[in-house]
Formats: sequence, C-alpha cells, structure tokens
Amino acid sequence: MTDRQLSRRDFLRLAGASATAVAATAVGAATAQEARAAASAAPPAWESKFGVCDMCFNRCGLIARVERGVITKLDPNPKFTKSRGMLCARGNAGVDQVYDPDRLKTPLLRVGARGAGKWKAIGWDEALDLAAAKMKDIAAKHTRCGMLFSAGADTQSQFVNRFAEAFGSYNVTSHESLCLLSGNRAFLDTYGEVPLPDVKNSKYVILAGANRLEALVTPDSMDLVSIMKAGAKVVVLDPRYTKSAALASEWWPVRPGTDMAFMFALAHVIIAEKLYDPAYMQERTSGFEQLAAHVADKTPQWAEAETGIPAHDTARIARELAAAAPAAMVYPGRRTSDYENSTQIRRSFAIVNALLSNWDRPGGLVPSRPAGVKKGAPFEPPFYDDNPPGRVDQGGVPLLFEDEGSFVLTREAVIKGAPYPVKGWMVYKTNPMATAPERRKTRQMIDALDFLLVVDITMSDTAWMADLVLPAPSALERQDPVQALQAGAEGACLVWRDPVIAPLHQSRPVFDIVKALSQRLGFPEAFDFDIPKYREQQLAAFPEAAEILKRDGVFYPPNPPLGTTDGQPFKTPSQKIELFSTRYADKGLDPLPVYQPPKPAPDAARKFRLVVGRSACVTQASSTNNAMLSEFEPENTLWLNEESARELGVGQGDMVLVESPAGRGELRALVTPKIRKNTVYMLSGFGSVSGGLSRIKGVGASIVELMESRVDAICGNSAMHETYVSVRKKGAA
Amino acid sequence: MNQRLAMVIDSAKCIDCKACQAACKQANHVSRGAWRNWIKEAAPVVENGKLARGHFQPGACMHCDEPSCLAACPTGATFKSADGSVGIDPKLCIGCGNCIAACPYGARFRDPVRRKADKCDYCPQRRAAGLAPACVDTCPTKARVFGDINDPDSAAAKLLAANQGRVVRIVAKGRDTKPNMYYIASTAPEGWAVKPVDPLSFNALTQVVAPLVRYAVGLSGLGVLVMLGRQLMAGQKPKASHHAGPDTTSDPEAESRQGTANKPETADKEDGHDAR
Repeated sequence: MTDRQLSRRDFLRLAGASATAVAATAVGAATAQEARAAASAAPPAWESKFGVCDMCFNRCGLIARVERGVITKLDPNPKFTKSRGMLCARGNAGVDQVYDPDRLKTPLLRVGARGAGKWKAIGWDEALDLAAAKMKDIAAKHTRCGMLFSAGADTQSQFVNRFAEAFGSYNVTSHESLCLLSGNRAFLDTYGEVPLPDVKNSKYVILAGANRLEALVTPDSMDLVSIMKAGAKVVVLDPRYTKSAALASEWWPVRPGTDMAFMFALAHVIIAEKLYDPAYMQERTSGFEQLAAHVADKTPQWAEAETGIPAHDTARIARELAAAAPAAMVYPGRRTSDYENSTQIRRSFAIVNALLSNWDRPGGLVPSRPAGVKKGAPFEPPFYDDNPPGRVDQGGVPLLFEDEGSFVLTREAVIKGAPYPVKGWMVYKTNPMATAPERRKTRQMIDALDFLLVVDITMSDTAWMADLVLPAPSALERQDPVQALQAGAEGACLVWRDPVIAPLHQSRPVFDIVKALSQRLGFPEAFDFDIPKYREQQLAAFPEAAEILKRDGVFYPPNPPLGTTDGQPFKTPSQKIELFSTRYADKGLDPLPVYQPPKPAPDAARKFRLVVGRSACVTQASSTNNAMLSEFEPENTLWLNEESARELGVGQGDMVLVESPAGRGELRALVTPKIRKNTVYMLSGFGSVSGGLSRIKGVGASIVELMESRVDAICGNSAMHETYVSVRKKGAA
Repeated sequence: MNQRLAMVIDSAKCIDCKACQAACKQANHVSRGAWRNWIKEAAPVVENGKLARGHFQPGACMHCDEPSCLAACPTGATFKSADGSVGIDPKLCIGCGNCIAACPYGARFRDPVRRKADKCDYCPQRRAAGLAPACVDTCPTKARVFGDINDPDSAAAKLLAANQGRVVRIVAKGRDTKPNMYYIASTAPEGWAVKPVDPLSFNALTQVVAPLVRYAVGLSGLGVLVMLGRQLMAGQKPKASHHAGPDTTSDPEAESRQGTANKPETADKEDGHDAR
C-alpha cells in the first residue's frame, strides 16, 4: 500500500461524506451555523489499537487509529505515563514509516558489484537457504566466531543476540558502543550500577553534554520543563545554543572537552566550603580524602581558564547545587561518545553526584526500579571447543563491556583479519555505515567480508552494501515480547506489541528469520517457542498483567518507595560509592579522573572541532528519509559562528567544503551566533549513499564521512568529538 | 450560554519540537509543504556577551470573535460557528485567496493540492470522538490547552482564570479581531501580526453578490467535487520540494525567522503562506 493509494482511499471516503453535505447546502442555501458545524463533526470511523512507538529508543505507548485496515493517525496513549502522554514529531511520523514507498518489499540478493545497487528479488526459502549455507560455510572455515552479529535498539534484538549465542559466536555489537557506553562505564564503576535521574522531583539540574530538550528522553525531557516552571533551576553547559540552552535557567557556552574542569571546581567548592554531609561521605563513599586532596587546587579560577565560565559563577552554581541537595543532580546523560577520556569525564559527573548525597533520594539519582520480567524460554547456549579464546576486539581497551564490545575496535579487527578472521556479519536494524565514525573504514570492513546479511525496514546505507537484504515489518505490524521501560523514580512499566495492521509486502519479523535459520543450521531447540509463549513466561510473576496490557496498553509492576537501598552495600569492590576506584588503580588507570585539557587544533586551517547532536525530528539515519520528518529537516547544514564565517568569507546558505583526515563533505552553512567560534556542528543521518533512500541520498553531508575513528581509552566507546575539520567556501582557494 | 472554544497557550513551556505540526498534518491530511499551525522563535538577544533566554511560540488560526477573514470571503465558505470556531466549507471555497490576505496572522494558506483555503479547524472529527485537537493531544510539555472558556470547569477556562491579568494576545495591527488564542504570562515574539487586508469594494461585493454566489456555488458543488476527484485520482501532486526556491520555503526555521523579523510584507504574503 503506497501513500498514493492511501490518499485515494481517503479521498473516496471523504468524498462520500462531502457529497451529502453539498446536497444539504444546495437545498438550504443559507445554512444555519449549527447545521454546518454538525455536518463536519461526525466522529471518525476508526478502530483504536494500542501500539508502542519505534521511531527512537524511548518506545512511547501509543494508540493507532485504523480506518479500513489503514493506519491514519498515531496518538499518545494517555495511560502510558512515562511519556507524560505525548507523542513527538517522530512518533507522529510513524505513519509515514509504515507506508514509506522506500520500504523493502521482498528479499533482495546482490547481483552486481558491492554497493552498485543491482539486486534480484528472490523468495524467502531461497534467501533463508542461502543465508544458512553462508553461515555454515563461514563457521566451518573460520570457527563460529567468524560470524559477527549486530542488532540495534529493538524489542526483537534479543532474538538476534540469542541466535548469536546459539550459533556459537560471542562477536556481538550493538549501537551502544557508538552511543552510551562511556557514561554507563563511569557510573557502573562508581556506583555499581547505572542510575536513573529522578528529574521530576529535582530542584537543581546541571545538564552538561546532554541536549535533553531536543534529544528527547522520556520522561526527563518533559520533566525538565515542568520543574523549571515550578521554580527548579536547570543549568546547561554546551558549546551550542541548543533549545535546551535557550530554555534553561542559565546557559554557559563551555569550551568543548572541559566539562571535567567544571565538575572538579564544583567538587572543590563543595568540599572547601564543607557543603557536603560528612557522615554520608564516611559511611557511603570510598576515597573522600583522596578526592579532597585531588581537587584542592581545582579552584573555580583554575577552571575558568579551561571552561571559559567565570569563576564566581562556577562557585555560585556549586553553592546553589549543594543547597538544593539531595534533590539536585548532575544529569548523567545518555550519548556519552565524545572524547577519548569520556569515561573519566563522566566519572567526574558521578563524583559530584556523590558529594550531593543524592543516591536513591527524590530528585537525585535512583537505582533501576524492579520490573519483575522473567526470562523467556531459558536455554543453555552450546560451547564450541574450537572457538578462539575471546571476542575479536578483546585486549584493545582495559574495560570493554563483554556483551557489547566496541564497534570501532571490532571493525579494526575485521579489516586486519586479526586476531582471527571474521568473514560474516548479520545486521539487524542498525546502520553502522551511517552511524559509525569514518565511513570509508566501515566500507573497508564490509569489503573484507564474505557475507553481509542485513534485515531492516528500508535500504539503509549498510543494507546497500549487503549481499542479502531481508525485509522486516515496522513495529506496528508485529507481535513483540514484553519490554520493561524505566521511568525515573516512578518505577518500571511493561509494554508489548500486537500487530496493529497485518505485515505489509513480504516482510517477516527478525524472530521468524532467526527461527527459520536455527532450523536450517541444526539448532531448532534454541527457538522452540513462539512469542505468545515467550510472553507468558516473561509475565509469570504477574498473572493479571496480560489482561491489563490488553486493556491499557501498559502494565505497572509494584514500585517500592525510594530509600530502600539505604544501608545496603553498593555493588562495587568497596561496597561503597567509589570516588577513588581501586579497580582502576589495579588496572593501571587513573583511580581518580585526571583532567587533560582538550587537544589543540592540529593546524591553522583545521581548527574547527566537530561536535555531534540531535534535533527532536531526527533519530540519526533511521528517520531522515521519512516523508513527514524530511519537511522539518530536509537536509543538514553546517553551524558556523558568525565571526568565523566572516573570517572565511562564508555567507548565509553558502556551500562549504568541510575536510578532515577521515573524509570530506559539502553542505550549506548556517551562519549563526548559536555556536562557539572554532566549533562546528551538523546533524547526522544525511549524505547517504543508498539508492534506496530517495530523500537523503547525496543530500547534505555525512557526519560519519568526516569523523575520525577514535575510541574511549577505557571502554572502547567511539569518541565523536575528537575530530578537527577545515572549512572553506566552495570554490574558494 | 454558547460555547467559546479557545486555545490557552503557555508558550514558555514550548520546546519547539514540532510535534504539534506533525500531529496536525497527519490528522488533517495537510499537503506537503503546507502547515495549519506553526512555532515561531523569538530572535535571541545578546546579554552579557552571550545569547539570553530564548522563547518559542506555538500558534495557529486564532478563531477570532471578529474575524477579518469572514467578510473577505466572497462565497460564504468561511463561517463562524456557534461554538466560536471559524470554519471553512471546502465545497463553497473557490480558492480566491482573499481570506488569506485578510488574515493578519498568516493562519490561512491555499492548499497546494486541493487549491482551496485551509487552516486550523480545531479538529472537529476528533472532538466528536471526545478527543482534543491533534496538536493539543500530542504536545510533549502540554504547552497548548484547549477548551470552552465559557465553561468554568474546562481546563482552558481554569488556566485563564488562574492567570488573570497576565494574559497576552497577539492582535492585528490597527484592529482587534478579538482572537481566541491566549498566551499566558508572557510570550515572544510579539508584534508580528500585520494589518488585515479587506478592500471596501470587496466588502460591498460580498454583501450584494454573496447570496447569489453562495447559491450558485452550492449547486455547482458536486461538479467541483468531481473535478477535484479527477485531479486526485490522476495522482497529481505538486513536486515535493526539499529545496524551496527563494519565493517559497518549506523550511520551518526560515518561517520562524520570517516571523521574528517583525516586518512581514503583505505583498508576497500569499506565497509565503502557501509555503507554510
């Protein structure tokens, strides 16, 4: 069903209603106001069905309005409180994702050169036979770890990971090592777990390295607005005047890469002026004395030289923050893939939070709430003796997440063929060609493979390079397992998906695909269940949940009050909040974060630091080709400070040439006071190479074409703010 | 007492996320390149060497009590309902564009596909189903509140009452059209509304000729419908443009800038509005 067919159908329906109204008008000539209003006010003949949005990772509860089998509107589910009863622009554009003419319709086999866009439509049996044969072949030649599996943020990704386990490969990556791992590493190593911010009850929030009013995270984004309205203070540090900056109580255009200096100055003031709770430091933290000594000389005056934020303001913010504690926080952030020392930068965030004694307190950082979801269809993965001893990216960094790895380091290993060859790659709904730094290297990696299988909704840039592409249904066309979502202190909520409409085209959910492959590969027992059975097992603790999910579209498990972890040990080696990390000391890492000034620009021409970020209408490359969203963000522009633009002779809207050692790009300049000098910004998700993305192929520039391949030295997360680029007006010498 | 439907907006809560625009477009099948509602951005000012706090302002047709578009319509397609809303009867609209120039708020446009005047209608179908207008329902920060302000129990009336003396309205230059859109506390940008264009000769024309035209158009309504139908069935769509030319723009940022420039020109108004 294309959108054109949809509009015809709608037209016929509307025309029927209109014809009646016209007849009435003609007879009545001067129609009574009430009658005219009533004629247009018949309630729509729609069926309402619960769904869960899939336009980003937030997974907001929604209600799909379905008319004669066609989804005409998506509305927020008011019972789904995590999103505060909203559906953002992307959520509303979910209809266009379903009826996108660019959707994949059949399995496609590459018949031309890789990336040349020559495809042959084949049947599912042939496609699955071929995929199974290739995987078998790779396992025989290169061990089972010769297959790499990458699944994006999706409720069915757990089945791809299960398939990888059953197949016998521990080479699994996801989008997370291009996104949030540095922050996770930092908080895990400080608190023993990754906390949730209880923004709703906070009186003071420092938002550094997070643009939460554009990069929407539910419920945090909405809560920031509500708490400011109620008098709370939100202080934003960002080299850009983002919408978060524009609406914050205070905005400081911090020099990129100096957030740790600011955090140390906060710690300095809080400790020097004894604005902390000494009993708490004694009982709940480890290494307070070392920290005090470490920040003794990190005065606000010292920090000013680094951050550009006046010392008296930094000191004032520290006092205000401490005064609001424990209902105060340094917001932990989500995407933390910024610098090579991002884990340590975020450790400094975690440390300031500890000084506020805000753990498990309203308005502070709270531990994950219990969700009570049981494991569906538990199974024992097989063990293969001939497999290599570890992941292909092992050894590159000291504290790799075993289940996530590092995409950038994995890619290096595949290109080198060392420590062992990886020759096959199965990708589900993630798009490293458009999200991983240095696109040409991702291409190089793909060239080193014997087999690339991509399962997705549309022909992503990664799919465009594949040997075999399999069409997946949108999230509104499938049945999904139960998923627990966390909403700050309010507790977890559980959602699932049932199809709102039947799957379009020949699409098949990835669950069906891995199940069919497991049968062909000789381990059918790994997928000896269906989704209803799996969900039943997941909900074993809550007999009433299934009915409530059907009735409300969401289920709330019991949520214990905050403070229940008081007196309980933290899950760290010292069982306390580790200001000073003995584990880091043992590994030869800095046990307290050590401030390193950001690396200077390499030369006079390449002086612009490239920073990444988001618009509320863009979820990287997965949304930019969407018909509705492309109206808001039709192409990306290079944000360039007015003064810098003058120096370069670049005018508003001029085409500029941007270059780095990784690559180059051409796009229009947005000359603006909203960014610091010597810093440039562009949206991700443009400048695509796929011929299957009609709205964004070659439109704007690709940020991953320009970004250099740098990684967080501790956890291997990509470091996306480490690239300096040159900018010049196109055609200028 | 009659209903008086109104929008009460706390623009300080608007984060310019475009959810209202997307929801409206989807709910009302608004053509590509056109919008029934908008978010304007106040031009940021520099204070103490850096940009000061910004402000975003959601808007749409204000369903005025004294709408300048009503008299400008030669066929009576534009009407004021008993519930206070201003509507357009598409069967009577001949797409002449006079109402577009007459609206000082830029709320009207000619739909590029249907070639008829269009604007916010408070989503009557959704209201009939007991739902809020799409933009209100979807708003992440609930900056937009909708309801009958003559009903003291409505959320809109309560919000207005709670902000007595702090309510701001954007009003046309030279004439108060009595808009039913209330911004509470403060809002920006202000002063962007223009002077309504309603030539006297035109007024006379509508008074004398309108009843006749109304009747004639009513009779020919079915014919028009058939023509429109053929157009749509043929799949005629204007070329969807990513890169709007200098005279039309589909870039909402550009629209915001236009709004904040505080010097909207009426001369090329129609083009600008078509593009919204």
